[in-house]
Amino acid sequence: MNTNNIKKRFPCGLDRREAIWQMGGGFAGIALAGMLEEAGFFRKHLGAAEPANRPIGPHFPVKARAVIHLMMNGAPSQVDTFDPKPELRKYAGKPLPSDKKYINSGGRKVGFLTPEFRPFRPGGKSGIPVSDYFPHVRSHADKLAIVRSCHTDSHAHGSALVAMNTGSVFIGKPSLGSWCVYGLGSASKNLPAYVVMMDKRGGPISGQPNYGSGYMPGQFQGTLFRPVGTPILNLKGADAPGIQRAQLDLLAKLNDFHIADRPGASDLAARAQSYELAYRMQAEAPEAVDLSKETQKTLDMYGVGREPTNDFGRNCLIARRLVERGVRFIQLYSGGGHLEDTWDAHTSIEKNHGLHGAEVDQPIAALLADLERQGLLDSTLVVWGGEFGRMPFSEGPGEPGRNHNPYGFTTWFAGAGVKGGTIYGATDEFGFQAVENKAHIHDLHATILHLLGFDHERLTYFHQGRDDRLTDVYGNVINGILA
Amino acid sequence: MHAAYALVLVFGLTPPDFEREVVPILAAKCLGCHNKNEASGDLSLQTSDRLAEMVPVGAPESGDLFGRIHKSEMPPKGKGKPLIDKEKELLLSWIKAGASWPKGRKLGLYEKTSATLGGLDWWSLQPVKRPSVPPIDGVSNPLDAFIRQGQTAKGMTPAPEADRRTLIRRLYFDLLGLPPSYEEVEAFVADKNPAAYEKLVDKLLVDPRHGERWARHWLDLIRYGDTNGYERDADKPFAWKYRDYVIRSVQADKPFDRFLIEQLAGDQLPNRTEETLVATGMLRVGTWDDEPNDKLEYTYDRLEDMVHVTSTAFMAMSVKCARCHDHKFDPIPQEDYHKVAAAFWPGDLLGNAQAKVDGYDVLAWTDVPGKPKPLHLLKKGDPRRPGPEVDPGFVSMIPSLDHPSIHQKDSKIRRLELAKRLADPSNPLTARVAVNRIWQHHFGRGIVRTPDNFGFKGDLPSHPELLDYLASEFVANGWKAHTIHRLILNSRTYKQSSIHPLQNDYELIDADNRLLWRANRHRIDAEAMRDSLLLVGGGLDGTRFGPGITPSLSNEALEGLSKKGGAWQPSPKDKQRRRSIYIHVRRSLINPLLGTFDFADTSRPCAQRDVTMVAPQALMLLNDEFVHAESSSLAQKAAKAGPDPKLQIQSAWRIALGRDPKPGEVELGLDFIKRLGSDEGLRSLCHVLVNTNEFAHVD
Repeated sequence: MNTNNIKKRFPCGLDRREAIWQMGGGFAGIALAGMLEEAGFFRKHLGAAEPANRPIGPHFPVKARAVIHLMMNGAPSQVDTFDPKPELRKYAGKPLPSDKKYINSGGRKVGFLTPEFRPFRPGGKSGIPVSDYFPHVRSHADKLAIVRSCHTDSHAHGSALVAMNTGSVFIGKPSLGSWCVYGLGSASKNLPAYVVMMDKRGGPISGQPNYGSGYMPGQFQGTLFRPVGTPILNLKGADAPGIQRAQLDLLAKLNDFHIADRPGASDLAARAQSYELAYRMQAEAPEAVDLSKETQKTLDMYGVGREPTNDFGRNCLIARRLVERGVRFIQLYSGGGHLEDTWDAHTSIEKNHGLHGAEVDQPIAALLADLERQGLLDSTLVVWGGEFGRMPFSEGPGEPGRNHNPYGFTTWFAGAGVKGGTIYGATDEFGFQAVENKAHIHDLHATILHLLGFDHERLTYFHQGRDDRLTDVYGNVINGILA
Repeated sequence: MHAAYALVLVFGLTPPDFEREVVPILAAKCLGCHNKNEASGDLSLQTSDRLAEMVPVGAPESGDLFGRIHKSEMPPKGKGKPLIDKEKELLLSWIKAGASWPKGRKLGLYEKTSATLGGLDWWSLQPVKRPSVPPIDGVSNPLDAFIRQGQTAKGMTPAPEADRRTLIRRLYFDLLGLPPSYEEVEAFVADKNPAAYEKLVDKLLVDPRHGERWARHWLDLIRYGDTNGYERDADKPFAWKYRDYVIRSVQADKPFDRFLIEQLAGDQLPNRTEETLVATGMLRVGTWDDEPNDKLEYTYDRLEDMVHVTSTAFMAMSVKCARCHDHKFDPIPQEDYHKVAAAFWPGDLLGNAQAKVDGYDVLAWTDVPGKPKPLHLLKKGDPRRPGPEVDPGFVSMIPSLDHPSIHQKDSKIRRLELAKRLADPSNPLTARVAVNRIWQHHFGRGIVRTPDNFGFKGDLPSHPELLDYLASEFVANGWKAHTIHRLILNSRTYKQSSIHPLQNDYELIDADNRLLWRANRHRIDAEAMRDSLLLVGGGLDGTRFGPGITPSLSNEALEGLSKKGGAWQPSPKDKQRRRSIYIHVRRSLINPLLGTFDFADTSRPCAQRDVTMVAPQALMLLNDEFVHAESSSLAQKAAKAGPDPKLQIQSAWRIALGRDPKPGEVELGLDFIKRLGSDEGLRSLCHVLVNTNEFAHVD
């Protein structure tokens, strides 16, 4: 076996990059990398030529330094929220024309075309119509770029939610937040770079793979963040702070003995240092969820302390605080668990969207206003949407619910780099299917990466023989919504 | 223009040599579009079929082929690199001379490795040749000879041999995934027998815990999980029998060719048994969506999973990339993907197949009875655009095994035929890939550092001859892993220290330690961490085999589940203390301790885990309830040494780290206990010990 005739090449640049990222990315990794650099780790192990503790770095100017993804888990109905279809009144009681082909998800009953359950009204100077499920958000219509022509690859929650989060209907790909942190790194010393806040009714269907890092190292995965007390798992143990400090001091000395016998062991030195970082996180991370310094006016604006807005309002307010503290990617779930605990309005749009809309409408409006007030909206991208949409027809005569619809739905963007007051794309006259300027979820992802400063075709991670991308081999930036 | 003609004239005197000069240009610049699959402009240049009409006899320059190249219309802009002048001239003079094409010659798309594509001449596809061992003074182990040869070329020498304490700890973690006890360490250190080390290797290889340790490496690779994933994430009944099958196979040192055949085709073996049926669980322990968007498409997705796990595990080639198009980097045409896929096609790809086969409760893969449906190559992978029917077969990149006996479309043993070719001693990949994995798990990195990719995009072997030596030894010794383990573990290379007196200099030459001039110190992995904590703490339950266990998790850790509460039923407390390989692998919620320490991704084959070092690991070991409980148990054991804190400290060190504390450490411990009070002090001290670098690392 002779390999001499093969041009020598660094295999995919992988070893080095791996090493960098094992130290340098994600959860409290940047700070650790900083310590390592001080300790000379990278010079020794990676050679002087390679800039060490830096993330991939953007390809072009960064518009969004942070992303808040408002995940309407269960899938809101577009024709009842942001995509008005007055024609449905005309067709009410008639079936969807038979040339419109679709998969009847779950084999549910198929009813007749049904108009919106709450009226639409124009909002802002742009006059963009928003339904009465979102009266507060409507007042920010001029900040929104509404993509009405979204479509996706699955009609089932399990795979569609994973697809919205990772670009693929198959579990096991890195999630959007992982790509974001892989690209931009962390800007916070004491907080995870990628945070996920669940609805207290439950986690997302398919669980961890929705915020996992797939084939990327574990520190790029989303960290579950709780809105009260100690927000991160294992941030607080049974040991009183004084005792723990004594333990850490002893630990440092024992580690010093161990390292003394192992000259040049910068990996060991780094691990020893990681305990100091952990200790600092314990002290400082809970501050991010401590709302005692927020004014009553702010709390009221978000609806904190009141039902039904308390939970999501608190999460939105914490999201703003996390942005202020350098967290890159924050995903807030509205809806958790299954069926009517989510936006999955099979039985009644009015009942379901009435509930979930009221929970999130005021908090989302407050978040937009607050980000703007704090001067953060210019650098923070807010994305709202579900994993797919809902059908324009009901689930049977007298059944006021709607079934899943991956063929057309709405996602809106606001904030960093987004042209507010924009309506982009369109569904057909029934609101059934995207027909104009169609935007696949790959296009949504490409656009988000673009605003983060990345060419989605060049932000790659080498995995099993290929340079893998969030957008696979697809995706186009939706230029029509960019400022 | 004139200069160009002049060149043509010069070259035109003797027409260019077809094989030597023309073929490489056609391969690199033309065949990308003009091949039989894509046939851009309805032209394939793999054969001479259309050459006559494009190169008119007597007036070759009047034909299209000449014209398009001459006018630089081919290759068109944006379709690969343009022809450089010399290439253009060569082609034109070849055409002018009549474009002679040897009769019957068909150009393979993959004949030669180019700048962008591995060809059939790629290193890993060449037959394994047993190399002669380099003669090196004073080196008797052949493996050491190859390693020393590499070092000598750079003027390097290996690190000194590690001491016995280091060696026994290294061997225990490597082979068992657990630390040795104090008594075991002392006995080994005191053993006067010069063969003590070899004896220890032999002992550990047959220790039942070895099977539990090394089976996990295989489970990573075949994306083992106990649930389906997706919305319902339902349990896979009897998946654990497959896990036990792997443990038993490793333990028995089952010949690897047999192991391979059983997993791919255990149901098609004559005299199949429950064991061989269970083995086929490899094909079913991956993810499975019970509610796919499109059942037809999902059928083909399932097929891809089968091809992928098989080709990754046994060939380290990404055959799956050729599902929709010819492979972009390796010599795997789209047809080959389907030839391999045809082996799995007769199975129930969509179904959650029955749990009873031959009366056994098993998670097995079997074919649906009856004549298999034809499998069509799909244009661009689109199920709605079927191309020609493809018969079962093998990958053409290993031509010697792609012989007709496998092309039996009516065969009831398609998978067995495939498995036999994978396990054929003449298959250049299987043994190389297998020994590389063994090497990888002993040294941290493989001889090929991309253990899942021996193709063009993968790493090149650091020691190609050594790899071939090991591969040929492996096959010659009946595919027995123990042969390779012994060769490696008894080598001087394995036994060297992780510290080299000249390491500051050597790091400048070979920072990645590819030449293995010292041992690689490493952090213990997820299972070793949890199992060690149990062992030194409240005790490790050595119960083997059977249904998985579910350790208790904090409410916080359960928050990610869509179904609250009932979805996670912890096992009874007294059943939770078993080794981590027995933890029920739930895809929607990986055990947080294992996950924090880089447990494998369970959705795809994982050939090498990441090793990260991040603050949440420190938080886990400082604050997790489980770690607290185990370190408290450790303290209770240490307290049995009597009331003297000195003896307690000594006992704690012996249990946690397998050694006596040094005087300086005793002093620190005494001072610590004094400050915190005896009970709290000892408990805290034990908590600190399991957090030390020493506990978490192997030299």
